[in-house]
Amino acid sequence: MVESGLEHQVFAPSDVLAHATPEVLASHLPPDLLGKVLAASLASGSMTPDRVLDTVTPELLAKHLPHDVLWACIAAAAARAGVGAAK
Amino acid sequence: MNLKGFLDTALSQALELGMGSADDVVRHVTPEILADHLPRPLWARLLTACLGAPRVDAQLVIETVGIANLCEHVPVAVMWNCLSEIASRSLGREFVPLDVPVSAPSAIVSHVDSSPVVTRSERPAPLSLTPPPEEKPRETPAPKPVALGPSIPTPSTGSADSLADVVAALENDERAAAAMPTRSRTPTSQRFRQTNTNGIGRLAANNTRRPQAAAPATEPVPTVPPSPPGRTPRRGSTEVGSSEYDETEVGKEDWKNTLAVDVEDEQLVEWSAAGEETQSSTDEFGRKR
Repeated sequence: MVESGLEHQVFAPSDVLAHATPEVLASHLPPDLLGKVLAASLASGSMTPDRVLDTVTPELLAKHLPHDVLWACIAAAAARAGVGAAK
Repeated sequence: MNLKGFLDTALSQALELGMGSADDVVRHVTPEILADHLPRPLWARLLTACLGAPRVDAQLVIETVGIANLCEHVPVAVMWNCLSEIASRSLGREFVPLDVPVSAPSAIVSHVDSSPVVTRSERPAPLSLTPPPEEKPRETPAPKPVALGPSIPTPSTGSADSLADVVAALENDERAAAAMPTRSRTPTSQRFRQTNTNGIGRLAANNTRRPQAAAPATEPVPTVPPSPPGRTPRRGSTEVGSSEYDETEVGKEDWKNTLAVDVEDEQLVEWSAAGEETQSSTDEFGRKR
């Protein structure tokens, strides 16, 4: 669902990181994945939401993050798109 | 030995003096090592800083995490390699790294919220690198029990403390109790004021009572007027048994004979109804209304 939303531009990687905050990521992602995120950012010289989601794919997000966090991201995007159920 | 404190001070000074750089540190403290040993709150801080910074580099990582936290959580061998490489380069010697343990217990997994985040102000005092001599375990003497109650002699198992000793001790106690002066009873002071007005305000100072002369002890004179003969004296309510005649002696028939007194006619008073009215009217004036 998250991957489909990103693919169809219902929400952007920044919208995902608005809910999957650094605290949430640091609390739920495994250490090796955090190391990869930092290594990729050090290698590229910046840490952007796109680069984070390149490392932490939607599949990994769905695997490690609480689902209510991801659902909040989806619901907020739906509300912005005019779907009133999420208000 | 506070080796972490020493490494913290040494590395901080090396970076401050320009002998080393943040890249020298991150070359050893790799993201994988950080992932294994950095606690989650520090990871959250690092991710927040990296996402908000226009450029992510070793300087940002070191400034965000801090040398103190690195020395606190990263294995000592890794941090020593950082310092050793900087020192070897400065001295022109060849750097020989220490073997780093492959996979130490991950602090990031077990320390989510309880791992300490060291700030610069909490830097521990550095100590020397020479290991201190092994301390022998101190033999702490067992604390003596504190006597909470009266001092009771400990029971002995020998036959010397027999019943005779106990009896002798009791006799000694009785003698001591008899020798002790008994406490005399002291008269208690007056608990209440005698009057309500004494001791109020400025009159309290002149509260001394006037000396009173002692009245001579005299025999009480009976003030009961002699009753006229022929009439039984009226007894008071409390003079029970003072009369020599007891009307309740049922069965004694001669009691009327003892009351029989010869009365002559001169002693009798003539009674009329008018006199009684006059007497009753005068009695009313004296009666208190």
